[in-house]
Amino acid sequence: MAYFVSLFLLGLVLGLVAVASNPAPYFAALGLVVAAGAGCGVLVGHGGSFLSLVLFLIYLGGMLVVFAYSAALAAEPFPEAWGDRSVLGYVLVYVLGLLVIASWFWGGWYEGGWVVVDEFKELVILRGDTNGVAMMYSSGGGLLVLCAWVLLLTLFVVLELTRGLSRGALRAV
Amino acid sequence: MTPVHFSFTSTFILGLMGLAFHRTHLLSALLCLEGMMLSLFIALSLWTLQLEATAYSAAPMLLLAFSACEASVGLALLVATARTHGTDHLQSLNLLQC
Repeated sequence: MAYFVSLFLLGLVLGLVAVASNPAPYFAALGLVVAAGAGCGVLVGHGGSFLSLVLFLIYLGGMLVVFAYSAALAAEPFPEAWGDRSVLGYVLVYVLGLLVIASWFWGGWYEGGWVVVDEFKELVILRGDTNGVAMMYSSGGGLLVLCAWVLLLTLFVVLELTRGLSRGALRAV
Repeated sequence: MTPVHFSFTSTFILGLMGLAFHRTHLLSALLCLEGMMLSLFIALSLWTLQLEATAYSAAPMLLLAFSACEASVGLALLVATARTHGTDHLQSLNLLQC
């Protein structure tokens, strides 16, 4: 399992390298999809299957679809992939920097990090993260109400920002 | 430092560097912000899972909700920018005129 988690960690870091190296937004969204998928794998490797499911369905299925849709607003006739010279320079700089920092920590890795939640329990009905998220509805109810309020406020902020007809927050729209 | 901690730390720093250096599109900056939020989500979840502090695992969910707020406002600004300026290059946002 540690090998799988290592592979997913590598995918996570390389996905963010692909986002951060300033390609066209189409390819940056693709890199973020790869990073989110690899992050799901990392969470599954640590036993957080419900959090991984939430990350996959909500983040990857909801938000990144909106981002990929909005990539149409940033259309370019010649989008730059990672093979172009400027982007490739940033990719190489970021990967080399990561390798330098990783070699700085090499040999001093603390090996207790590969724990899986609930691994040493005898019989569990629910996984630990499922229980923890369910506590959001009992003792974390205040934060839940706050969260719903913030989402409602964000809805009106978005409606004001994108309102046309010279009546919204941005008058020149 | 474990490899897991090194990975999400370097992921956050990569997103921050990508946001700070050389953005041409507004959407690229928003994608870098999303990458930072993704690394924060993974960091909070791993903290919960590694310490078995499972009462804490509502915190990544709340972070994801706030991250959705941030993403929606950012995309609304992107739409408004595309309507006022016709493009979303950050260069054209520096012109101080429409």
